[in-house]
Amino acid sequence: MGSTIAEKILARAAGLASVKAGDEVRAKPDFVIAYDFPGYTNVIFRQMEEDFGIEKVAEPERFALFIDHMVPAVTPEEEDLHRNTRDWGKKNGVPVYERLGIGHHVASELGYATPGAFVVHFDGHVSQMGTFGTLAMGIRRHLLEAFVNERIQMQVPATVRVNLHGETGPGVMARDVFHHIVRELGPAACRFQVLEIGGDGLAGISVDGRQTINCLAMFTGAVTAIMNPDDLTLPIARERARLDIEPVFSDADASYSAVHDIDVKALEPVAVVPPSPRNTQNLADHAGTEVQVGYLGSCASGRLEDLEIAARVLKGRHIKPGFQLHVVPTSQAIMEEASRRGYLTDLIAAGAFVTSSSCDYCFGRAGVMTAGQRAVSTGTLNVRGRMGSPDSEIYIVNAAAVAASALTGKITDPRPYLQ
Amino acid sequence: MALSNLQGRVAWIFERADFDIDEIVGVKNIKIQDVEKLADMAMREFEPEFHAQVQPGDLLVGNHNFGYGHPHYPPMIAMRHLGIAGVIAESFAPGYWRGEVAMGFPQVCCPGILDAVDRWDRVEVDWTAGIVRNLTRGSSLPFEPLAEADRQMLEAGGLIGYLHARARAEQDIEATS
Repeated sequence: MGSTIAEKILARAAGLASVKAGDEVRAKPDFVIAYDFPGYTNVIFRQMEEDFGIEKVAEPERFALFIDHMVPAVTPEEEDLHRNTRDWGKKNGVPVYERLGIGHHVASELGYATPGAFVVHFDGHVSQMGTFGTLAMGIRRHLLEAFVNERIQMQVPATVRVNLHGETGPGVMARDVFHHIVRELGPAACRFQVLEIGGDGLAGISVDGRQTINCLAMFTGAVTAIMNPDDLTLPIARERARLDIEPVFSDADASYSAVHDIDVKALEPVAVVPPSPRNTQNLADHAGTEVQVGYLGSCASGRLEDLEIAARVLKGRHIKPGFQLHVVPTSQAIMEEASRRGYLTDLIAAGAFVTSSSCDYCFGRAGVMTAGQRAVSTGTLNVRGRMGSPDSEIYIVNAAAVAASALTGKITDPRPYLQ
Repeated sequence: MALSNLQGRVAWIFERADFDIDEIVGVKNIKIQDVEKLADMAMREFEPEFHAQVQPGDLLVGNHNFGYGHPHYPPMIAMRHLGIAGVIAESFAPGYWRGEVAMGFPQVCCPGILDAVDRWDRVEVDWTAGIVRNLTRGSSLPFEPLAEADRQMLEAGGLIGYLHARARAEQDIEATS
């Protein structure tokens, strides 16, 4: 019996010839990454010293810190947190990447998404790095273990395989594909397991789109998502890889706990209806619902293809007066390229409020709503209070639909605007 | 050090699948850090008398995929403050599970539990036998065994104690080899 890509990566990380789902292993993460956030990094830094007497991490090159939340700071306390992070990085010889964009996406840009590498973070959206054949897991406060020990104790997760088939039509995006997977499989189908996505339909999904899909894996219950690197992703990932390790791939006879086939050919744009990421429905069923706010950004969406399609919808048009459209590219590199290609010009001309990359619009720190307001969003999540008042609502839709809805002030199918 | 069995009443049953625990204190209160305030707000929307009814050692019961969404720590900090000793659910969302086990808060994955208990039944989680006993009904149900690291973490009272215990164990191995 063969192995999955996740099993192969964990076998190498654990220094073993092979491992199987269910094995207890002690795995050495190739990279330990985190953004600074109160209650996480500051607590880890303190616990390292006070509880474990560790002044500096061993092998600082395995660590990377990102400042992406609370950017720019709006209180002295926030800036104090950032300053402490910078100081800690300097003392430890650990790089602190600041104002480059959303950390785990920037980590991919900077080559931490090395194919075959094992990465840990406290935030589950780090699964995005699975796009490049990297096994990247969000382990919440257990991240402390990776700061104080070389290895972390873990159980090798089983893998659920999803084969995508068919190609999506115009105006239907990877965002729709992901939420359709949740609709088809349910919000618990991959609990405690790895979601491995493949199938002939994957070839039709761009790198940006794959990052979208992998980023959101947690809403299937998965501990991470991964795709076997292919002709599209391997050259990109290898060129910027920080480690010289051989990429690995799932064997044809690998053992999966379940295999699902999902056809996306007839898929329509979806809306994920508040207040839970499990509520995937067709956008058409909610078309006409009034919205006052639009958010195009986040680590899930906000990449070039999202900005491109939004610019195409909005070019030569203007958003509805009074509508608040926030456009926040996922990274500064993306923003620069979008600027070069003219997408930002079209978005700004249409009335979008475009800002530098930050996580702050996604978790209700900037661009917040008051009671009774409603947003269309490409943010990660639509739970109550995520973007301000618990009595506001978030409909998650794809980037094109955010743009189309900004034109009308109502949830709007973007496809007529793309013809 | 073995885990002590949990024994208490079922103080509440969250019947909804994919339950978002932030609702326990209310999403608008999720950033509050004062444990007294959090505890005061807990469960108000579900059962206004909860505070008066709950006793130390009581347990919560949940449905499938308990803790789904984007769980934060304050709800269960509040629940522990009120005396809740653990959660038994049909199944758990992994992010929630990891977070609470790291806090040393026992979580028990027990398929069938919803049909096996009523509110205020007295139940016992027997870690050695791997069963949840309903002492009121005189019935029992097996639960899914804990992963090794999770068991050790609960035994050590949470992540920090676990990491210390492991470091001590490794020193012992080095000293005797």
